[in-house]
Amino acid sequence: MDDTRNPSPKRRRDDNTYDDESPPRKRSASHSPSDAFPQYRLAERPARRYSSRDNDSDEDRSYYRDRRRSHSRSRSHSRSRSHSRSPSPSRSRSRRRTRTPSPPPKPTSLNYKPTFILRGHKKGVSAVKFSPDGRWIASCSADCTVKIWDAQTGALEHTLEGHLAGISTIAWSPDSNLLASGSDDKSIRLWNVATGLPHPTPFIGHHNYVYSLAFSPKGNMLVSGSYDEAVFVWDVRAARVMRSLPAHSDPVGGVDFVRDGTLIASCANDGLIRVWDTATGQCLRTLVHEDNAPVTSVRFSPNGKYVLAWTLDSCLRLWNYIDGKGKCVKTYQGHVNKKYSISGAFGTYGEAPWAFVASGSEESDIVLWDVSSKNVLQRLEGHRDAVLSVDTHPSDKIIVSGSLDRTVRIWKEVEVEVEVKVDADADADADADAEQTPPTSEKEREMNGYDPEEMPPNRFAE
Amino acid sequence: MDIDAPGAREEMSFEVWMPQSEAAAVGGSRAVAPVLSPATSLNTRFHLGTFNLNLHPHRAMNLSLVDPFVLAQDCPDVITGRLHSGHSTSIRFSHRGDLLASGRHDGIIVIFDIETNGVARKLRGHTRQVQSLSWSTNDRYLLSAGQDWKCVLWDLKDGSRARTVRFEAAIFIAELHPKNHMMFVAALFEDQPVLVDMSSKIPVKHPIPSAPLRSQAERDNATEKQNAQDAKQTTTVTVFTPSGDNIIAGTNKGWLNIIDTASHELRHSTRITNNIIVFIRLTPSGRDIVINSSDRIVRTLHLPDFADPKLDFETLHLEVEHKFQDLVQKLSWNHVSFSPNGDYVTASTWMNHHIYVWERGQGSLVKILEGTKEELSAVEWHPFRPKLAAVGVDSGRVWLWSILQPQRWSALAPDFVEVEENVEYIEREDEFDIQPIEEIHKRRLDQEDEEVDVLTIESAKMATEFEAGDFRMPVLLDIEASDSEDEIVAIGAGQFRRKVDMNDEDGVSGDDRRPVNGTGSVNGAKRRRAG
Repeated sequence: MDDTRNPSPKRRRDDNTYDDESPPRKRSASHSPSDAFPQYRLAERPARRYSSRDNDSDEDRSYYRDRRRSHSRSRSHSRSRSHSRSPSPSRSRSRRRTRTPSPPPKPTSLNYKPTFILRGHKKGVSAVKFSPDGRWIASCSADCTVKIWDAQTGALEHTLEGHLAGISTIAWSPDSNLLASGSDDKSIRLWNVATGLPHPTPFIGHHNYVYSLAFSPKGNMLVSGSYDEAVFVWDVRAARVMRSLPAHSDPVGGVDFVRDGTLIASCANDGLIRVWDTATGQCLRTLVHEDNAPVTSVRFSPNGKYVLAWTLDSCLRLWNYIDGKGKCVKTYQGHVNKKYSISGAFGTYGEAPWAFVASGSEESDIVLWDVSSKNVLQRLEGHRDAVLSVDTHPSDKIIVSGSLDRTVRIWKEVEVEVEVKVDADADADADADAEQTPPTSEKEREMNGYDPEEMPPNRFAE
Repeated sequence: MDIDAPGAREEMSFEVWMPQSEAAAVGGSRAVAPVLSPATSLNTRFHLGTFNLNLHPHRAMNLSLVDPFVLAQDCPDVITGRLHSGHSTSIRFSHRGDLLASGRHDGIIVIFDIETNGVARKLRGHTRQVQSLSWSTNDRYLLSAGQDWKCVLWDLKDGSRARTVRFEAAIFIAELHPKNHMMFVAALFEDQPVLVDMSSKIPVKHPIPSAPLRSQAERDNATEKQNAQDAKQTTTVTVFTPSGDNIIAGTNKGWLNIIDTASHELRHSTRITNNIIVFIRLTPSGRDIVINSSDRIVRTLHLPDFADPKLDFETLHLEVEHKFQDLVQKLSWNHVSFSPNGDYVTASTWMNHHIYVWERGQGSLVKILEGTKEELSAVEWHPFRPKLAAVGVDSGRVWLWSILQPQRWSALAPDFVEVEENVEYIEREDEFDIQPIEEIHKRRLDQEDEEVDVLTIESAKMATEFEAGDFRMPVLLDIEASDSEDEIVAIGAGQFRRKVDMNDEDGVSGDDRRPVNGTGSVNGAKRRRAG
């Protein structure tokens, strides 16, 4: 363990090398080239990292208390403990037949295929986001950079440099011209996407790592959640804190604005999800699950009537926050999420359209659930380490994912005939996935990005 | 905007104090002396309206969570903030209510973002004080009239001047056509009012009449003196009806003229008062009108539906609904405005620090807003929130009144309940039963069988009066000298806190807050961080 080198008390260093984790799950040999990343070391701070509460909750609680007293103290949790214990409902692909025979039938599976692998980040990728106009993908990483990629071709457009520490979160302004990034250097920066240059005034105010960002629908406000337990609402024009929400008593993992900007959701390690009135800064609703599992990420549904929350008990919960005192209406399981702050997105499929939920998993796959039936529609496999962030294209059937394996991957849905879809069993699907992956990745490896070992041009060198 | 009017009225219980002698003095019309005790007026406001959520044209997401008791409050209460950029002289809310245009003494127009209380844009073009402001229906264009005798149509997409129209006289007011942002009507000083078509680069000005429409009999009997007087009448204020088909104009002799926009012809004239009509404002429905006149009386009238083809302008008879005045102090009114649905009328007072709020159901004074320690000129009501903005004459600040929402403690935890008095808790039958966790989990998951729709957006309640396409003003990051002053943030009932610059003023409450002259721009400069 490299505790001595750990600069931050918060970061429990997970420096297990790569190969002893996540045993190869595919038959395809191409998926476990242990020599592909020799000396792979987990990123400086690949993403926000929380401990799992169900294993040793007392110890973990003390960890958060301790960090104030002794800043040099760091701990060495074994990372492997979580994986083996996770129940595996994940493996069972419940393929429910469509209930209503009326056309068009609701698909029971999706067929996203890997399309591009975007390499270039030198450390784990903590977040990926499509721009609202669908043109760009932004990814941020523990290597202190944000990269902007073309969503269609996968070409690297810009590398945004300026942060002094790893970046946990990014958010696009609604007009897609600005990108905000929140970093461990406690600052938030705005970037001009067209020029790749930072706005001269960083947003300073947080006392600790910035974990989560979201723009208001008009782009005039930015909400940020931080490890310092605060939620700030910023006036984007003036680059100053407009309102501070006395949000939580534990690090804030996620924040989001509702569709019309009148509500803000925040969630924290204390297991609470709070919904705030943007105009008055008052708490309107508090949602908490009985188990009090740390909530690491929160997102409003596209229509703003529900919030989706990621918790470190390997669950995603969909909350109806409006009716009564708020109620958990769906629990999505089948992924593993006990340590990292994983985020995902809502997407649509089929004719209706129906909605699905996409999330990364610490077992290096991406899981897509149908929102209503909670059935797993597809598992996207290909990443070689925990997938921390998933986003869906605002209009097209494209998914982007970012992982601790330092890659960003783009997945596109491929149309298949209905007969095949209905009859194919899970293993056949998996085989097809596995066989398709290597050639694509081989090809794309040359196509985009630059040598990850070579330093990118530094715009601020002079 | 349709509020369930009959239902709301039934809920109201007002104590109207109407001393007999005074009521008689104004000829039986409802007049309410401002001696109305504040306590009475405070009691009445909570009875207003049923818990009607339709009040807002935008059905905002937060409405389902906000305390219905708070939502039912529809009259502003306390000062919740102030905006400062230069010396403001005129203000106007945008139709969507997220922006406030403020015309300054130096001719600069500042667009404030009401959500952030910051400056969103500055428009430079006038060389003298800005006299009036008018937004296009989609909020993309802003028409300003200045004391430099010109009107400018601003395109807020890029802040450019789409059109500039010069006049040979001072402009009282210029109002944009609600359906066509390339057309406006202006009342000019000692000149005929004009309807201006700006669709071509060179604007076309059509003069419209000021002299009231006389019936044939009147015309026959008219003396020469009367004719001369009619000819001398000038229009002091012009507004469009919401459809834009008619113009309502007020003259310096107290006449109200209704003019057809297309033909520029007078349709109807009514004499409201003998004095100058200073200002006119319509409700969004166009069925109510409030008139401020120099005789110190604020009048409200019901208007007929001008779109009704059966409407006969010949026999039209407009009757004054309420006369609001202060019989004791003989106050005159600087500026009047309606609340969004016309339930309230507000007026700022001349040589006085107060804003009077009357309620139109009974015609009673319900509230006097105070706390500014300066006279207020323009007063404007937010298009759908219980929020008022008023310009301070001395400081040029824009003061904002609104309702303070108390934090509901029950929102802070799912098992918190707000109770009026102590309640003995009765436990559920199975509350302390011990059940295997797996069992509970399984049962919980099994219950999650409802269909969930996370996509469909209920758009039924969205405002229909706004044009599609939803213009959105770009967010500018580099507004120079962003000298907005909103460091006072409400943190509780009557408590304010300064956000930045704790040095010169902190912990002030709404009442003893004094504008510190000259600090505004300095603060702004300090706040701008070096890059």
